Amino acid sequence: MPIEKSDLLQGTLDLLILKIVALGPVHGYGISQRIRQISKEVLQVQQGSLYPALHRLEKRGWLEAEWGQSSNGREAKFYKLSAKGRKQLASEESNWNRLAGAVAQILQTAD
Amino acid sequence: MAWWKFLLPKRASGRQLDSELRFHIEELTEANIAAGMSPEEARRRAMLEFGGPEQIKEELRDVHRVPILETTLKNLKWTLRLLRKSPSFSVVVILTLALGIGANSAVFSAIDAVLLRPLPFPDGDQLMKFAQYNTKAHNSQPFIAPLRVEDWNRMNSTFQAIAGYYAENASEISGPLPEKLTQAIVTPRFLKVLGISPVLGRDFSSQEEHFGGPQAVLISDRFWRRRFAADPNVIGKRIVLSGFRSSYLIVGVLPASFRFPDNDVDLWMAGPPDAPYAQSRESTWYRVIGRLKPGVGLEQARANLDAVQSQLGKQYPKTDADLVVKIQSLKETIVGGARKSLWLLFGSVSLLLLIACVNIVALLLARAAHRQHEISVRFSLGASRTVLIAQLLTETFLLASIGATLGLFVASGASHVFRSLAADLPRLEEIHLDWRIVIYSLVCSAVVTLLCGLLPALRSTRQGISGSLAQNNRTQVSSRTPLQWLLVGIQVALAITLLSGAALLLRSFQALGRVSPGFEPAGILTFRISGSYGETADWEALTQRINGTIEELRSVPGVEAAAASATLPGVPTNYPTELRFVEGAQDPRHKSEPHFRAVPNRLSPTGQFLEPVSINVVVNRSFADAFLAGSTVLGRHVQVLENPFIKPDQAGEISGVVGDAREEGVNHPPSPTVYWCFGAPGGPDAVYFVRTRTAPMSLAKTVREKIRAIEPARSVFDISPLQDHIDEAFAENRLRTVLLTFFAVTAVCLACVGLYGTLSYSVNVRRREVGLRLALGALRAQIVKQFLLQGLGVSFLGCVAGSVLAAAFARLLSGMVYGVSPTDVVTLSGVIFLVLVVAGIASLVPAIRAARVDPMQVLREE
Repeated sequence: MPIEKSDLLQGTLDLLILKIVALGPVHGYGISQRIRQISKEVLQVQQGSLYPALHRLEKRGWLEAEWGQSSNGREAKFYKLSAKGRKQLASEESNWNRLAGAVAQILQTAD
Repeated sequence: MAWWKFLLPKRASGRQLDSELRFHIEELTEANIAAGMSPEEARRRAMLEFGGPEQIKEELRDVHRVPILETTLKNLKWTLRLLRKSPSFSVVVILTLALGIGANSAVFSAIDAVLLRPLPFPDGDQLMKFAQYNTKAHNSQPFIAPLRVEDWNRMNSTFQAIAGYYAENASEISGPLPEKLTQAIVTPRFLKVLGISPVLGRDFSSQEEHFGGPQAVLISDRFWRRRFAADPNVIGKRIVLSGFRSSYLIVGVLPASFRFPDNDVDLWMAGPPDAPYAQSRESTWYRVIGRLKPGVGLEQARANLDAVQSQLGKQYPKTDADLVVKIQSLKETIVGGARKSLWLLFGSVSLLLLIACVNIVALLLARAAHRQHEISVRFSLGASRTVLIAQLLTETFLLASIGATLGLFVASGASHVFRSLAADLPRLEEIHLDWRIVIYSLVCSAVVTLLCGLLPALRSTRQGISGSLAQNNRTQVSSRTPLQWLLVGIQVALAITLLSGAALLLRSFQALGRVSPGFEPAGILTFRISGSYGETADWEALTQRINGTIEELRSVPGVEAAAASATLPGVPTNYPTELRFVEGAQDPRHKSEPHFRAVPNRLSPTGQFLEPVSINVVVNRSFADAFLAGSTVLGRHVQVLENPFIKPDQAGEISGVVGDAREEGVNHPPSPTVYWCFGAPGGPDAVYFVRTRTAPMSLAKTVREKIRAIEPARSVFDISPLQDHIDEAFAENRLRTVLLTFFAVTAVCLACVGLYGTLSYSVNVRRREVGLRLALGALRAQIVKQFLLQGLGVSFLGCVAGSVLAAAFARLLSGMVYGVSPTDVVTLSGVIFLVLVVAGIASLVPAIRAARVDPMQVLREE
């Protein structure tokens, strides 16, 4: 069963977006598709959450945006990671790993 | 992207949002079609999946919105609440800034009105003033012959028009008593040059500008209101003037703002260039002004007039060959003298504002330390640093704006201060508060905000401090405040700079007061009697009139002696001229320029009046020493080469030598002077002197009545003791001395407040430490000594830095100080001593408070 945005932990969406964008310039549609594909349809991002998040990250300077041609020749807005965003991604990633590790630890030990 | 777009908040345009979202929907639709749906179905499903694009767009706009208005209002509300919570802090800051910005705006209003604005005539910067310089006699003559004015006007190609004028006093005698008026005699084109037209009536007609034509006058707005109660039907009325004893038709009223050539001109009348008495090229009548053609520069005009004059030199070799034309901007000739004083005051008052700012920075820093906790909490609640800095700057700006607004009241009083301190400052009547000054004050408060607010805001929002939330500052024993102490040092240094400048001016003022002028100004009443230059047509009659008046004055009871002179002694005026000795082979001509004075019946330095002797010359000691050392002085004859009042072939016989007197002003050493004792000194417009037995002004009424009895058609004016004239001559000196002293004293007070505040703060922070030490057996005297030395030490370092600045400042004062060297060590050490004493007192109070700390109470607070 897919997990929708409301079930995602606060801040997780930002982390996912940063991670996807880190792979190379990509537009909003591409991001939502990749999240879905990579999570094997478990995570589905609502456009109503995706675009505000993208714009927020752009405003903070973590993402940079540029208009370009999509693969089928349409005008699309491409996002890519800025230097600042790369740092942010690294720190969020390690935070996440620590948190996930800690949660896993508790779940195992408490068994 | 253009660089300036970075300055604006980025806004997502609706079109861009649209196309970004539309792209997504189209991609979804295509994916659905690829999955085998019909195009309509594919689109419907895509829209469904996407959700409401309008709603998303609204959310995106929210992301980008910069809530400037809301934030500012919120910040202001916050600020007001904070100000109410700490009223004493707010009041101190606001008052300091009101004084600092107010005084600054006040001096700026004077600079703006006097120096920066063009003269109050249309295109005032096109107006130029002329003088003729005699290359043989080496003297500059501002008065030009009427014929030459006409020649210049006709032959030049760089001026729209050139015109001349001179002002003299007159009496209007159609009323019950003669009324003293100031009249200006003007050449044709006078109003055209100045770009003024009458508000009522018309300019002179061409007949009125010809000799023998109808006699007409233009009157001033002031005279129109005073004499005719602003009667709109005044055109066509007549006034009767003494001197010419004829009646004049009023043809126009000039605007109220038009006060040229003098503030008190009442009427303007045409001087016909074709009059028979105006045909000498050697006469010296008019001051001359001209209006440049648009786009013509001063250098171009000078070259043009040089060519014109050299042509005239060929045409009239006898009178014009040795003359060259000097041209200067009219504004410069009017305000040039006040420039240095005004900029000096502006510099001083800006230093004062700087001290005020430094003071406020120290206050804000101390306050920020108290607010560390609040700021840390806000950080941890997610406020960004920008938001916090904006908040802190809003606070400072609000304080600065309130201060600036109050400061406008200070500035609006400025013109009164300038009027009472320097009545002869040029363009004084134009100093007033207007929107330019309001804007200047606003800019000041913005600059002050950045100057005062930025450093404390940046420092108190440093991330390091934000980490101090967990830290309990009660466990702190001592906190170092090097920045605050640096600020105190800066204040002391700046205060020393100002105070030493003020001290130098004060000492020069004092030195001037001690100088013996070489004559006794006390007990002398001076006044003038109206007379017209028309009287110079009959020099004999003029001489007789003036001598007769002097005889009559001598008979007034209470008068010891009476005399007349072209100038006032002790008031800066002089007539440098070149003389030659008639006999004596060695020096047919002197290179230097002895000082010339036309003085009949002159009071000698011993206080006696010299009796008029036909052609009688008296020289002073300097003259005798400089030019006649080792030879006989008495009986030598001198001739003057070029002077408006003495014919070139008239020789004077030296009949006596008098002691040196400071004729050109008390601050000028006496120069070689020749006193010419002859009939009508300075033409009809002589200054009369009466030595009285009682206080000079007590005789004023008697003198007036006496003159009225013998000369009913003449008015007596400018009646005042000689001492007053001498004092007035130093009005500008007084202005800068009084104001600079005021600024300096304020600066020292501010610096002391800064010192006191910083030390008090430091005592407050270190209470626990002091309590602990007292509990462990420290002596109270040690505590006092420690804090006192801290305050004094910083002040001393400030003094050292200040002495360096003061030396630089003193350079600016050179030429303004008298009787004291700009680098006078005594003055500087006196200033340093004074500041250290005051700093000691300011430090003593907090130091004693520190020693009074009750150890038990402090330890219990833990």
